Amino acid sequence: MMNQSLIELFSEKAVAVGAEVISCTSIAEAATFVAGKVDGPLLVPTFPSGCRSGLETVLRDAGLDVLNAFSSETAGRADGGLTGTNFAIADTGSLVLESTAEDIRLATTLPPKQFALLDPAKIVADGLAAVDPMRRLHQRDARNYIAYITGPSRTADIERVLTIGVHGPKELFILLVPGFSSDFLEM
Amino acid sequence: MNKQRSKDYRKQIDQALATPKLQDALHKFGDAFLVSREKAFGGLDFEQLRGRIAEMKTGVREHHGELMEQFIANAEAAGAIVYQARDAADANRYIADLARRKKATLGVKSKSMVSEEIHLNKALEKAGTRALETDLGEWIVQLAGQRPSHMVMPAIHMFKEEVAELFSKETGRQEPAEIEHLVEVARRQLRESYFQAEIGITGANVAIAETGGIALVTNEGNARLASTLPKVHVALIGIEKLVPTLEDAARVVQILPKNATGQLLTSYVTWIRGAVPCGDEEKELHFVLLDNGRSSLAESTQCRDALNCIRCGACANVCPVYQTVGGHVFGHIYIGAIGIILTAFYHGLDNAAELVKACIGCRSCVSVCPANIDLEEIILHLRETVGDEEGIGAGKALVFRKVMQNRKLFHTMIKAASMLQKPVTRGERTIRHLPLFFSPLTEWRTLPAIADTALRDAFKAKAQQVEKPRYRVALFGGCANDFLYPELGLDLIEVMNALDVEVFYPQEQNCCGIPAIYSGEKETAVELAKQNIDAMLAGHPDYVLTTCPTCAMALKHNFVEHLKDNPAWAKKAEKLSSITVDAASFVLNQLDGAGIFADLAEKEKITYHDSCHLKRGVGVWQEPRRLIKESGHDLVEMDHADRCCGFGGSYSLTSHPDISRKILADKVHDIEASGATCVAMDCPGCMMQIRGGLEKAEVPVRAQHTIELLAAALRNKPTEK
Repeated sequence: MMNQSLIELFSEKAVAVGAEVISCTSIAEAATFVAGKVDGPLLVPTFPSGCRSGLETVLRDAGLDVLNAFSSETAGRADGGLTGTNFAIADTGSLVLESTAEDIRLATTLPPKQFALLDPAKIVADGLAAVDPMRRLHQRDARNYIAYITGPSRTADIERVLTIGVHGPKELFILLVPGFSSDFLEM
Repeated sequence: MNKQRSKDYRKQIDQALATPKLQDALHKFGDAFLVSREKAFGGLDFEQLRGRIAEMKTGVREHHGELMEQFIANAEAAGAIVYQARDAADANRYIADLARRKKATLGVKSKSMVSEEIHLNKALEKAGTRALETDLGEWIVQLAGQRPSHMVMPAIHMFKEEVAELFSKETGRQEPAEIEHLVEVARRQLRESYFQAEIGITGANVAIAETGGIALVTNEGNARLASTLPKVHVALIGIEKLVPTLEDAARVVQILPKNATGQLLTSYVTWIRGAVPCGDEEKELHFVLLDNGRSSLAESTQCRDALNCIRCGACANVCPVYQTVGGHVFGHIYIGAIGIILTAFYHGLDNAAELVKACIGCRSCVSVCPANIDLEEIILHLRETVGDEEGIGAGKALVFRKVMQNRKLFHTMIKAASMLQKPVTRGERTIRHLPLFFSPLTEWRTLPAIADTALRDAFKAKAQQVEKPRYRVALFGGCANDFLYPELGLDLIEVMNALDVEVFYPQEQNCCGIPAIYSGEKETAVELAKQNIDAMLAGHPDYVLTTCPTCAMALKHNFVEHLKDNPAWAKKAEKLSSITVDAASFVLNQLDGAGIFADLAEKEKITYHDSCHLKRGVGVWQEPRRLIKESGHDLVEMDHADRCCGFGGSYSLTSHPDISRKILADKVHDIEASGATCVAMDCPGCMMQIRGGLEKAEVPVRAQHTIELLAAALRNKPTEK
């Protein structure tokens, strides 16, 4: 599948499960979008593509209250969390986040709003195509905590009525930023 | 038989049947499930996907030892502490000891059926650790002091008003019964507990030998919190969750949510290997690998496919019995079809005995199982085991062993019964009211009277006009065709003769033996298989035709199974199997005979009911529809055309007439709503049930066998010359 059709399929499926997909031309544009959504501290753990692009400064310039060193206690008070994405899976609209570092997990589980920067060049067709980068992640690191994230947290446990945001994030924003990171093994 | 247990179980059924709100919810759920499931599998080949899962899981079972070694070695290399627990008590002791060592006052749990299986919460309470369920459905059920009624949706039996009441007690405020609000209450109420808990407890959907890691398939996000915030993470893993590679895990993850809830993928799939960072330290990760009967299940050649289960719960979703009585009645800890089997091995045959008998045998579970498990076959085997262990009741045993195995006696008794019924039939073909304690059987459906002249006798008088037959076929009548609906057999002769086929009726044929199997009486079934093989092959027929799909299944499948290890019989059983065909398929596939009926029928709006054993036992559903249409009728589809009618042989007469009655009411409703004036089917059992239900409900729709409709069409043919 051509990358453009992968991007389209990914976006369609992600939107279908309640995520919002935003195409951005730059980090700055993404930061402006995030600033418009977040009301309170934003957790931004350290990750390679973020460091390389000076993400923290760009976010602060957009007026965001960025927390990059936090504990589980302080994380609980944030309004949003922002990370990069290792890669994405088109046919289910899923993000793959190598979350072994605890900060990544805190930033993506506790706040009600989750933001993920994704380079659209890093989209595979389906769950089986995801196995190759998954295997390489497992070969690279001795220990792993890897999350497939598909839409916001949901439940249908009361009368089978689909309800968003039970324990995890209530909103998921996927920011497509071309040229942000081409390495499937890095966030 | 354990009479008290059966009595208690019937009481539970009565209670469930008196809760129409629950039935309504489960029916709606079953409908919605099928729609979303079909959408989720759009563009994918389900048969191929489930074939792969079955093959992979079977391979795992065959190489379980080495794969488990590999899993453990890789898990330990990554810093996990692995404990192999023999049984529930062993696993509980290990986890409770750990909780004591950690001086844990609180354990947060994400959903784990294995923890339900071993009653872990109770064991933790005893150790002084409160186990808090954080999955919304599990929490609701925990607050209510109940157990899950569904493996994927634990609180599906409850309504928002009940949830609001439970939550109000918890918060001390009056919580309104609005679902969105209640979900928010759960979020707020449970959030703090992840921070306080010393231990997080999860299950695992797969354990991957290649990596030594697990994957959790979840929606709510509580498993991510429970496996991140507390210092200790215990994953309780049934040893059947093992898969060899990441590709295999990906295939399970691909099919599981689609088949469980109709989702392409759950919100979260969490892959965890080893002791990951937690605060300033490393997480203490324990993998508790639970056997608890799984190894014995692997030893059982007849039942071990059940280990291929990936716990999607679909077998319950589509089950008419589950939809009628719910998971608390049709389940122990594990529910639905797979629950029956797992209960027998994990919680003992005694706990499974009533459940085994509550299965109606419609095979709808088999058709949706993502691991291709023949659940019905295994349940029937367990029924036989229960029959062996407990006896099937002196009355039944007498009927099967002394009467049915002796064809002459059996048939003489049926004829005698046809005389005895005269006072109640008053010469009519249906019985509307039975006297005394039999009366409940005719409260909700009429029953057919035993015919004055059985098919086997009427047959001899029927002249056949075939000059040069293309084929000579033997008719396997089956009890219903033979003794209740002989006219159906005579119609078949007319249809066959019109297609230049000669029919003969081997007089030595006996009952197909399925009623014996369904009652757990295998010995009789094997004896009947032998009698019938000899009887049907004696005249060297080109084909053996059936008008009853249950008989077709017996001749095509069960006889071969019963006798495969018997060198004197195996070949003969296979021969009979290879030439046995249901009548509708024979007309279409062997004779290419649809043309002779073309537009002969007096056009009528007809709907078609798929008999369980024809569609899901023999794999036939298009053929009769084509014949009905080509003969000139207007075929309209009813809702749930392939849902069981509730007959199930002795199920509706002796085992569970009350469940049968409710399932029949659903069918009658669907037939009426279709607007048809006639419902066609290819099974005399369904005919008996549906005809009786329609008659009693005074719904003016006829129930006819496809062959009867074809014969009627032929009679409209202008006579030649």
